[in-house]
Amino acid sequence: MRAFEYTTPSTIQQAVSALGADSRALAGGTDLLTLMKAHIAAPERLVNVKMLLPRGIEARPEGLEIGALTTLAEIEQHPVIAAGYSALAQAAALAASPQIRNLATIGGNLLQRPRCWYYRNARIDCWLKGGADCPAREGENRNHAILGGGPCYAVHPSDLAAALLAFDAALWVHGRGGERAIELADFFALPAPERRTETVLSPDELVLKLRLPPHPEETRSGYLKAMDRKAWAFALAGVACVLRLSGRKIAHARIVLSGVAPIPWRARAAERELQGAMASPDRFAAAAAAAVQEAVPLRHNGYKLPLTKALVRQALTALTDPACK
Amino acid sequence: MITRLEGADKVTGRARYAADVRLPGLLHAHIVRSPYPHARIRHIDASRAERLPGVHAVLSSANSPSIPWHDASSLFDRTVRYIGDEVAAVAADSDELAADAARLIDVQYEALAFDLVGEAREPKAEARGDVARGLREADVVLEATYRTQTALHNALEPHGCTALWHGDQLTVYESTQGIFAVRDEVAEKLGLAAQNVRIITEHMGGGFGAKQIAWKHTVIAALLAQRTGRPVQLALDRASENLAAGNRNATEQRLRLGAKRDGTLSAIDARIRVEAGAYSVGGEDSDVIGTYLTLYRCANVRAEQRSLRTNAGPAVAFRAPGYAEGNFALESAIDELAARLGIDALELRLRNYATRDQREDKPYTAPESLRRCITRVAAACEWRHQRPGLGFAAHDWAAGGGWPPAEAEVEFAHGAARVIVGVQDVGTGSRTALAQLAAAELGIGVERVQVELGDTQPGLYGPTSAGSATLATLGPVVQEAARLAKKSGHARAQRGENPKGKSIRTCGAQAVELAVDRDTGEVTVKRVIAAHDCGRIVNPLLQSSQVIGGITQALGYALSEKRIVDARLGDVLNANLEEYKLPTVADIPEIVNASESMPDAEANATGVKGCGEPPIIPTAAAIANAIYSATGVRIRELPITREKLIR
Ligand SMILES: Cc1cc2nc3c(=O)[nH]c(=O)nc-3n(C[C@H](O)[C@H](O)[C@H](O)COP(=O)(O)OP(=O)(O)OC[C@H]3O[C@@H](n4cnc5c(N)ncnc54)[C@H](O)[C@@H]3O)c2cc1C
Ligand code: SF4
Repeated sequence: MRAFEYTTPSTIQQAVSALGADSRALAGGTDLLTLMKAHIAAPERLVNVKMLLPRGIEARPEGLEIGALTTLAEIEQHPVIAAGYSALAQAAALAASPQIRNLATIGGNLLQRPRCWYYRNARIDCWLKGGADCPAREGENRNHAILGGGPCYAVHPSDLAAALLAFDAALWVHGRGGERAIELADFFALPAPERRTETVLSPDELVLKLRLPPHPEETRSGYLKAMDRKAWAFALAGVACVLRLSGRKIAHARIVLSGVAPIPWRARAAERELQGAMASPDRFAAAAAAAVQEAVPLRHNGYKLPLTKALVRQALTALTDPACK
Repeated sequence: MITRLEGADKVTGRARYAADVRLPGLLHAHIVRSPYPHARIRHIDASRAERLPGVHAVLSSANSPSIPWHDASSLFDRTVRYIGDEVAAVAADSDELAADAARLIDVQYEALAFDLVGEAREPKAEARGDVARGLREADVVLEATYRTQTALHNALEPHGCTALWHGDQLTVYESTQGIFAVRDEVAEKLGLAAQNVRIITEHMGGGFGAKQIAWKHTVIAALLAQRTGRPVQLALDRASENLAAGNRNATEQRLRLGAKRDGTLSAIDARIRVEAGAYSVGGEDSDVIGTYLTLYRCANVRAEQRSLRTNAGPAVAFRAPGYAEGNFALESAIDELAARLGIDALELRLRNYATRDQREDKPYTAPESLRRCITRVAAACEWRHQRPGLGFAAHDWAAGGGWPPAEAEVEFAHGAARVIVGVQDVGTGSRTALAQLAAAELGIGVERVQVELGDTQPGLYGPTSAGSATLATLGPVVQEAARLAKKSGHARAQRGENPKGKSIRTCGAQAVELAVDRDTGEVTVKRVIAAHDCGRIVNPLLQSSQVIGGITQALGYALSEKRIVDARLGDVLNANLEEYKLPTVADIPEIVNASESMPDAEANATGVKGCGEPPIIPTAAAIANAIYSATGVRIRELPITREKLIR
């Protein structure tokens, strides 16, 4: 690992001015330190924010607030989240392992880098790391994107991001210019030549907290995730689904996919199939088909189409089961 | 119930493994590995690394003896043949410093063309009878090709050692399955007499076959220790472990099975290709053809395997080498054949299992033990043909009868005993089982027996812990030494030969119950039922550990584990524990161990046989067979991941 400077600022102002192109905030370190040990990231300075940023979950009239340092374990176990934001609790419970969830923060989870095995291999050059080409496009791409791919085909690794997006979450960030709010939907952006990352956060900005708007009592939500084994694996495909029913009529629908695109992927076409429709197996099948209608599979990841469709159908079926709350 | 004697030491952290050794002045070493699948080294400049404070020595082809190594290569060969091949090594004050220094060594490579497919070499082949005729005379012929992947051992404890010199006397604390094998190989490589090398293996966190031989790291540590005059520790990290410390060879198995209407097998024809990687590193052979020649009674058999040399990490023995691979294909094919014949899959096996060793033309010591295993499993799973999601497989294993010679020494005084043997306890519980045998012979409690093992110094030879051999080799000789010591207070004994006129094998059967979601491709294994003939069961808890461990490893082999190599880069993409998917606790179903103690008095006086390897053998085929019975889809390639089942 490259030697680095380590600072523990005592105010957010100081932290922000210590950040920049060659320095990184250090929260739980579960991703950043792994990247540094593997020589994928080599910042000159680490800015310890572990004592600085908000941590905890608060239910307020204007919505649920989650501090950036809140751990995945805290999210998984919080009674308000378990009761009213099931998709988020389920996404947290299905992420990583219990040990990692005890350290991993939600802020870091949104900012973690892709698990693409070319990206994570220091011997291999790739577009996202500043190189010219993407070796995954014609290579071993069974884990890669079917939606939104190119020039990078890595999938976004976060489970929680999909659930948060389905709840229309927003972020509070603090940079040199002060504080601003960003919709999570605008925070994630496909990597582009001038910005080879998955978010629009600038290097000198910190995420302070997240806010989930309040939603009516009758909202139902869930998160399903397909993995290569029963636990401790990143999603091959996942779906976060938030629904409100009025009788059997779908009054509100959010479908967000994980594991299939370089950023958490809102399936708007699927939502349109559902919005205002009566809940029925045919409707769900139509929504599932719409969710992947624009998908372009690579050589080894074609299975993600039927898989994603099945997850969407299964999630909708479970959430509209009259026996389900 | 007798639990492991060293169990408390292990769970409290008192047990010392090779990389836990702490000595005054200890240095840590790191190996520089080739980033090219095939290249010639033009030039090595280590000056930047050597100037780094805290770096004590750098070794490479530029400054170290050219020690011949596997095939026609050498210790630091100027030609590297896979990504991970050893190029140089550094010894420094800390692990981190050594790793940093390694990155400062400037190596200029000339990249060469590489080959991941490989050319088939001379086959290893065996035949009997007339296969063409057997196929002609068959009423049903099944023809199918099966494939198995490259699997990585991933023992909890990586390879590693600590080496130190006293004058010309070398001592190595090593994580090895074969203290004597390593002693002799290291001595030979360094030009020392064997008695000048001492190997100590007090505890081990698994080896599964990959620790049967002396790998380069041991000789590198010894050379660095010699050069610096200080003890040197060299422990592989997980990435090196998964690039350069062996793997289970991938196979392609083209089969033709012929059978008569009544199920009698008239022909077995197996043509097998085995991906061996860049070198033949030695150790136990991957005998893929073995089970084709022995599991079933058949007059006409032809089995051949060809190794393919490729620019990838070398294969080495992995728990039941060759048999796990061969059994997947053969036992899947037997199920397919049963379906074609309209005969119950279990019945077909009962009609055909062999009671004689057809390779050696001798009867088995326990000819009916496979029938007993099959019927015990059938009873425990309430076998019913075509019950959806239920699958079955039988297996044999050429080893388990022990590998003489071996010696043991027992001292007995004041109602307490000391047992000294020259084997290692690789994590299977050899210490405990040997203590039990001595205690029983001496008529004392097991807590009054102290077993000393894992050290070549006393000069009592013991075999490598491979071929499920340890207890079967040492059990009888410890028992004999204890019997003599009971009279005289002190005795040594030698392990006698195995019986000449009969073959000792181990065998068993497993059934798997599972469910498949065809919409998502997900397989959920619910229960595995196993019965294995390992002779007399000395300690049921230890035997169950082997059954559970073997099945767990096999679940990964069947469903999720695979080394992924990029064809254009020649690089391993998942040399880690995140993307190389070992089963987690959540993947392990209920495992019912229906094995019974079946003392095999013809095998040896103690009646014991091995159980280390067998439990990994039949699981993958039983899973493939259960998937077929659940879905009607026959999967002939491992691992059976979602994409193969999704609708
Ligand atoms: C083995 C393993 C398995 C995993 N499996 C899953 C999984 O299944 N699903 C899943 O969703 N995730 C998974 N993860 C990812 C894990 O959840 C993230 O690594 C973790 O949430 C990151 O949080 P952290 O606090 O450790 O971040 P760090 O590693 O400290 O930081 C990560 C990045 O975020 C930046 N950062 C952190 N906090 C802030 C902030 N407040 N403001 C600005 N920048 C910040 C850091 O500078 C760094 O660039 C897994 C991780 C591991 C190691
Ligand atoms: S998918 Fe993205 S991260 Fe992976 S190799 Fe291609 S460019 Fe790099």
